[in-house]
Amino acid sequence: MLLLQFFVSGVATGCFLILATIGFSLTRRVEGFLNIAHAELLGVSAFTTWWLNAHHGWHVLAAAVAAVAFTALVGLGIARVVYDPIRHRGPAVLLITSTGVAFVIGGALHGLIGTGIRTLDIGLAHRYEAFGLRVTSHQLIVVGLAAAVSVSLALFLNRTRTGLAIRAMAVNPELAASRGVNLSATSRATWLLSSGLAGLAGVMLAVLATLTTDLAFAQILQILAVAILAGLGSLYAVILSGLLVGVAMDVSAYWIPAGYRPLVAFAVVIVVLLFRPAGLAGTRAA
Amino acid sequence: MNWPQLLVTVLTLGSIFGVVTLSLNLQYARGGMINFGIVAYFAVGAYTYAIFTQPPPQGLDQYKFGFGWPWWAAVIVAGLAALVFAAVTGWPTLRLRGEYLALTTFAFAEVFHSLLLNERRIGNGTVGLARVERPFGDWGPIEEKYVFAGAAVLLLVATLVVFRRLLVSPYGRALDAIRDDETAALAAGKPAQQMRRQVFLISAVPVGFAGAVYAMFTTLAQPSLFTAEVTFIVWIALVLGGERSVYGVVLGTVGLVFFEEIVRAWPFETVRSAQIAAAVEHVVTGLVFIAVLRYQPFQAAATRLKVSK
Repeated sequence: MLLLQFFVSGVATGCFLILATIGFSLTRRVEGFLNIAHAELLGVSAFTTWWLNAHHGWHVLAAAVAAVAFTALVGLGIARVVYDPIRHRGPAVLLITSTGVAFVIGGALHGLIGTGIRTLDIGLAHRYEAFGLRVTSHQLIVVGLAAAVSVSLALFLNRTRTGLAIRAMAVNPELAASRGVNLSATSRATWLLSSGLAGLAGVMLAVLATLTTDLAFAQILQILAVAILAGLGSLYAVILSGLLVGVAMDVSAYWIPAGYRPLVAFAVVIVVLLFRPAGLAGTRAA
Repeated sequence: MNWPQLLVTVLTLGSIFGVVTLSLNLQYARGGMINFGIVAYFAVGAYTYAIFTQPPPQGLDQYKFGFGWPWWAAVIVAGLAALVFAAVTGWPTLRLRGEYLALTTFAFAEVFHSLLLNERRIGNGTVGLARVERPFGDWGPIEEKYVFAGAAVLLLVATLVVFRRLLVSPYGRALDAIRDDETAALAAGKPAQQMRRQVFLISAVPVGFAGAVYAMFTTLAQPSLFTAEVTFIVWIALVLGGERSVYGVVLGTVGLVFFEEIVRAWPFETVRSAQIAAAVEHVVTGLVFIAVLRYQPFQAAATRLKVSK
């Protein structure tokens, strides 16, 4: 029974990981590099929500919407100012630069917020019980949101003009440009989308956890685990691998101390990479 | 501010981290391998040294092993341990290239860190191993800290000399050839994959030594000293100094350590202002990093020098 309970909370963890990773994978797919600073955007969003909600008394929903919008703009701004001018230097330089960006955002958060524990001004979660298993309303929100985001992202990428342009650019930018895709507009849309998704995950982080300024950095480890497992740049496999990592981490607490959770996540990754060097999706995204 | 003390600290720490940056430089600029888990090899050296020099466990100690060896033997074992760790982690990861390699090495470092944190039988878990043996006493009239700084500089110089010899040899030229055009090097009969693996192993050894010296310096081996932040700092130093330039790399490291120590040693009035200073240090480090990668001033200077010659 306890094992099943861990499984249920693992699904909720996994859904949070899906939200946190999908923007990261989108960046990797379209812009072609690993944006380590993605996790810090979660922090930006989480603390914006906290600041508006707990400090200024906004309703949590209004604060969340504002935080997501703000994070999307911050992400776009960073991309314009920092990443675009050095894109020709290749993914390794971009990857290393993004750790610099993570330092800047993380340091700014430390400086502005300071140490200590923060929580949102929202009521305690409701508990629901069914078949002897407990879920909280917050966990249900995360699961619902992850499902909604996955479906709408799939629809967006397959049905809308911008979505198709994003996919075309991911596969072959030159060809896309010659077929009339506006590359810089598409890149802008991608950054807004992926940063906005980071914002959404950040709001969820604020709802689920007590906030500290180094919380955001801790997320990058799990995001990386999920993204590698899925195969860098693949989007649909993120859903599967997010759930897999989330469940593996929480269920492992049944046998081994909970402190080993990140270790479990990476152990899964290492084992998978040994057998499938390109991740679950199996195709090596160039 | 106590300037002589600050300078000695900068010299010691700068030399220790300089060794790590040099090894990373060998892996990245010569071998083309992005190692984002370099801190793990450093931590292996530090913990091995601590474990081999400390007395067997007693009383409240939770660690299982303590051999009480002399310091020089423990330093050698620390280098060997880093080599073994590199062999173990290199075996599955070196088949991967580019960012996949960066991520798996990163993953290995995190797994190792988590192991040190949770497995109390290795090194008391979060508490770490305290009172690590410091071998050098006062040397006649010279104080111990100067002797120690000298030892650290000596390690750095030794590493520099060995790496330089290696890189100007035919072996080093073959490495450059593989980096520049792997297909051509393969066609010329250079075993690219095998040589990359060798570079990975060779460069881990000095990192293990540096870890041992670092444990002596702090007299502490604790998980919180060996976080991913160390990896990033070393990478920043590498980029600061300009990859491929051996002296630049050392200068970059010393500069970065100097900057950090000044912030650390500054007499702050309140806790809050110290906090803000630490935050500003992070922001400035990040900004410098971004700017250097974008404008690459050191590489530009190096090219100019070559042209004018």
